[in-house]
Amino acid sequence: MAPSAIPDSPSPPTVSDNEENNLQQFFVLHKALPRKSSRKVSGPGKTRRKIDLSPASPKSEGKSGANHVEEEDDCYYEQLRVEAFNAVWSEIETKIKDVLREINISAFDEVHRWVCECFSTIKSSGTPEAVRPYPLVTDINCKQIFTALVLTKNIEFVDDLLTFEELGLHLKSKGCHVANLSSLDFSAKNGIGGCLRSLLRQLVMVSLDAPDIAVLASWYSEQENYNNPSVVIIGDMERCSGSVLAEFILMLREWVVKIPIILVMGVATTIDAPRNLLPSNALKHLCPFKFSLGSPYERMDAIVEAVLLKTCFGFNVGHKVVFFLRNYFQRQDGTVTSFIKAFKIACAKHFSTEPLSFLCRDLLNDDSEGFWSEKCALLPEVMLKNAFSFPSCQRCKMTEGTSENLASGLFELKKLQKNWSSVVLCLHEVGKFQKMHLLDIVCEALDPATYNKNASDNHLGIGNGFSKSSPSDCCLHAGQYSGKSKGGIISQVVRRVRDLPVALLSQLLNIWRKHTKGISEIHDKVKELQSMLKFEDNGKSLKQDSKDTPKRPSSRGTMNMEDKKTVNEKSATLMEYMIVNYLQPIECIPFHEIICFKNVELLQSALIGDPRRTVQVDLLKSHNFLQCSCCSRSGNVLLPSMHDTSIMYTLAQEHGDLINLHDWFQSFKEILLGPSTKGKHKMKQSPLSKKRKDRDEPHDISEASIQARFCRAVTELQITGLLRMPSKRRPDYVQRVAFGL
Amino acid sequence: MGKEGTPQITKRTTRSSSSTADSSNAIATKTVNAPRPPSIISDLTFGEEPMSLDALLSSFPGRRLQVLELLQLIGPLNSPMFPLFIYGGASTGKSSVVLQVFKHLNRPFVYSSCRTCYSPRILFESMLNQLLLHRRNAGNGYSSMKRCERPADFVNFLREALTDVVNNLKEPIKKASSKELLKPGHGRMIYLIFDHLELIQEWDKSSGIILLLFNLFDILKMSEVGLIFISNVSPDAYYSNTGHVEPIPVYFPDYTEDNLCQIFMRNQANPKLFSSFLDVVLRPFCRMTRRVDELSAAFPLLFKKYCEPLSDLGLAPTEDMKRKLFSHLQPHIAPSLNEIFRVQYESRVDVKAKEKVRRKGNIRKLGIEDALDEIDFHMSISAKYLLISAFLASRNPATLDAALFDSMGGSDNRKRKRKASQTSMEKKENTENELLMRGPGTFPLERLLAIFQCLTSVGEGSLEEGQREDGGVMAEDGDVGLMSDVLLQLSTLCNANFIMKGGTCPLEGSTRYRSTVSEEMALKVARSLRFPLSKYLYRR
Repeated sequence: MAPSAIPDSPSPPTVSDNEENNLQQFFVLHKALPRKSSRKVSGPGKTRRKIDLSPASPKSEGKSGANHVEEEDDCYYEQLRVEAFNAVWSEIETKIKDVLREINISAFDEVHRWVCECFSTIKSSGTPEAVRPYPLVTDINCKQIFTALVLTKNIEFVDDLLTFEELGLHLKSKGCHVANLSSLDFSAKNGIGGCLRSLLRQLVMVSLDAPDIAVLASWYSEQENYNNPSVVIIGDMERCSGSVLAEFILMLREWVVKIPIILVMGVATTIDAPRNLLPSNALKHLCPFKFSLGSPYERMDAIVEAVLLKTCFGFNVGHKVVFFLRNYFQRQDGTVTSFIKAFKIACAKHFSTEPLSFLCRDLLNDDSEGFWSEKCALLPEVMLKNAFSFPSCQRCKMTEGTSENLASGLFELKKLQKNWSSVVLCLHEVGKFQKMHLLDIVCEALDPATYNKNASDNHLGIGNGFSKSSPSDCCLHAGQYSGKSKGGIISQVVRRVRDLPVALLSQLLNIWRKHTKGISEIHDKVKELQSMLKFEDNGKSLKQDSKDTPKRPSSRGTMNMEDKKTVNEKSATLMEYMIVNYLQPIECIPFHEIICFKNVELLQSALIGDPRRTVQVDLLKSHNFLQCSCCSRSGNVLLPSMHDTSIMYTLAQEHGDLINLHDWFQSFKEILLGPSTKGKHKMKQSPLSKKRKDRDEPHDISEASIQARFCRAVTELQITGLLRMPSKRRPDYVQRVAFGL
Repeated sequence: MGKEGTPQITKRTTRSSSSTADSSNAIATKTVNAPRPPSIISDLTFGEEPMSLDALLSSFPGRRLQVLELLQLIGPLNSPMFPLFIYGGASTGKSSVVLQVFKHLNRPFVYSSCRTCYSPRILFESMLNQLLLHRRNAGNGYSSMKRCERPADFVNFLREALTDVVNNLKEPIKKASSKELLKPGHGRMIYLIFDHLELIQEWDKSSGIILLLFNLFDILKMSEVGLIFISNVSPDAYYSNTGHVEPIPVYFPDYTEDNLCQIFMRNQANPKLFSSFLDVVLRPFCRMTRRVDELSAAFPLLFKKYCEPLSDLGLAPTEDMKRKLFSHLQPHIAPSLNEIFRVQYESRVDVKAKEKVRRKGNIRKLGIEDALDEIDFHMSISAKYLLISAFLASRNPATLDAALFDSMGGSDNRKRKRKASQTSMEKKENTENELLMRGPGTFPLERLLAIFQCLTSVGEGSLEEGQREDGGVMAEDGDVGLMSDVLLQLSTLCNANFIMKGGTCPLEGSTRYRSTVSEEMALKVARSLRFPLSKYLYRR
């Protein structure tokens, strides 16, 4: 198997020298992947041209006169792009970190306040002599161990590793002694000793070979440590071994009050988790309090708001990418960490594939149009040509490829993008009333199809307008989502605006006013609406009892209702107006390719990979990959020159979930011997290139070697996880484990 | 006790100085952290004014007999004693009585709990450290006085240390210079107390250590040393016929209801009110547990509840009022009988919502306070499906899978089965019950994945529909198949303790899993997916 995966290695015969013992199957897994992705990208030839422009293969694209100077330029601009990536990403990263910290800080403060309270409670029950080994005999009030259960609200723990680390730092900065333990310290293997050891290492900063909690007591009684609470943070409580944790708690209990330890435990699932994990005799010593961190959705929304909407970082993602990210978050992974990772991958890919992406960095900084024209004037001819050959540009029939045009285009792009984000923020404000997630709204707002539909219909009634999909859409993805967007989120939002009670409406308008500062037209209208609302309030004060508005306010005929309806109606109309005129997805703006990453396949293959499927596909179509001359011509016919494992797996496709070994072997043998009529192939070793060399030798494949090759192929299939070996019940059958591609 | 001032930090001093201890320090000095040279008397006794016998007896209601027996067995000053073996159920006052007795006697002793000293080495070193008056501190790197791992070493070191201590205890009598001796003497005896002896049985090579401890009396042959063992389990669990001197057993029986009443009536601000409360509460609780620690954890909260309607807590309750209070309290008693883990809410943000939850929780305090229909933590959709599949795989018999998930032959099969089952209904019921007793079944990974695939193929369709209904999302195009990272999800669920993993052999695929999710939880998850779980659940 091994050699087949590296077909273009310089000396195939040496590699293929049959090293039977050399289990190189894993080359299939490791070596194959990069090739696969590149094949995938270049395979469908009509993918976006920017891929072809990638620095890795600058010559493959249409630039015929790729002379030396250009190469140097390429080098220079590549350098620029790398710098731009570093700059942009570091900005984004710090922003994300700030946002996350912001989310947690209130919870952290709460925990700290609670820790202080607990500590004073403990202290109030006297200051016993800590170093004495016997437990307290007096009656004291709090013999329980104060425990904070911090609900992380996410079954995946990854996000919260950092959170608890920061909680530790936060408490430390407030003067607590903090030890951050993880579930690894509470493993059944190391027992209680392991957890005490790391506790002592972190608090006392000694490493003893027989860790003893009495050490902690004498450490604590030292003067400088004495008046501060000590907090033990266990981030992932569910993963701890229950018995060790229980033992730890019982031991702490013997030293209760003498060592005022306060536990903080992260709970990923429900508040019941400790009840399920710990025995009752440990549980009853805990005095639990509940805290919660922001849910992953909240964090996600905050990040999206900060990164995609609030500031323009000069990097953006297209609709499909956001859609993919959202789905990935919702269905697969559900961690903010992986969302950030995916975003970073997208960012890196963008900067590496898009030749003009170095301009992004300046989007981050400068705002004046003059700056842009200056900047663009410096661009070489090729770059400009690139820029104007973007599909988005051609769509708009912008023929003149001057640098001024590019500059104004970019300026416009930034402006439109700003408008777009303020409208999305306005939408989100409404969505908050219905607990909509910002990501969903962004997802829909980015959809070029809906926008184009709206634009071409020029129809204000959103609810209706969406359902009518005009076939004359010029957009790339037009019609793709037709029918599904009928009750889209945005139209829900508009409907919601209509039904909003007065108090909420005025609150909403206030926030809108803030968000729409950039768009003076809308800003004025919002002000107008606000004054209307105020006027009404003054006119008909004390009529707030109609807060729970029925769904159809028009069905009632009271005056108040009528008036209120008008304001609501007007706000809804305004909303619709905003949507139609300002909610222009980035993918509909010329030159968006410069800052917008759209290649979802690239991201998908980087993020998910789907190794098993890849292995199967590669096995079935090994010639696509090896590109050897002997097999590629054959089409679907199995040739003996193909790789054994590949032959075997193709044969296995004909069977059901059980494969009779004998039949399989026979057909395998037939394939190997089949072309013997031609009398050409020698098959001592699998690799192809070698075979071609000695093709003249007579076929003298012994039964034994066929069997050996058969066995090896079966083993390889088993190791790749496609097969299961014969069971005792059915000794002559193997079972297929993977089905379907 | 325990009131003895302040933490004592000392630099290590040589033991020779210990006999000339500064006596003024023996009585608790309030100077914080004053370094104090260790002395046998102050380190090994309670070092306070000894407690009178009356105070001792009154502080342990229901333990009069045991206290007196202990005093008798320990004997007067300087009288040798046989080893004692104190046993009785958890939380019956064994350790406290022994410690308080020593406070009363004011004699030097060394205490080691086998809970804190979780291995032989730590037990040995802790004993020796105490005897050698060794204090761990930053100066000595928190290390023990002597490194001692083997029992033989322990015996040798112990003998040395004990001889020194005993000599030191004798010395001052001759000198008669120290003030301490003007007080009633501490005697020449030193007592070694081993608490939680039953835990030793869980250690490696436990029998050796236990034997060693029981044999200490014979091995040491020092009449000045008294040994006291405290254990949860009766002596029968330990003794073997190895010929050591059998310790004298002292049994601490469980408290009676009256004892408990006396115990809880101590130090109450309003005894009348509290006794009326106890009248209501003690009996039902005593049927559950008589452990003081459990009761004392449960009572304060209930008492708070009990007092809620009262404006003035100082009042002595009238009959009428008692009745009213009782009816107020009654709904809370039964739920709190089972409750040992009551979570309090700290969050001050949206207190209102929490209050609501709390109120709900109080009515049904039994821990089903998550009556909220939502699961309140994030789980990816594919993890949810996997959880449901695991639940089904654990609950349903494997033979039924084909009928449930094969849309072709499903209904047919079922009918046939039902017919057959009618004839052998009883038999089936029996096996059913058996299944129930066995708990959730195990299943191989393949079965889980097969069910998962069936569910997702069904579920994705309905999911799409659902999304169309509430117009949630538009298309399935940036499609992330649910199947792609199943094994990752599986490990996530294992980490969350929703699925347990059995033995492993990854190549053979013979790992068996077991779902430990409650039905309630599974239903909740299913509801969040709008998945008709009950349709797939096999009930007889």
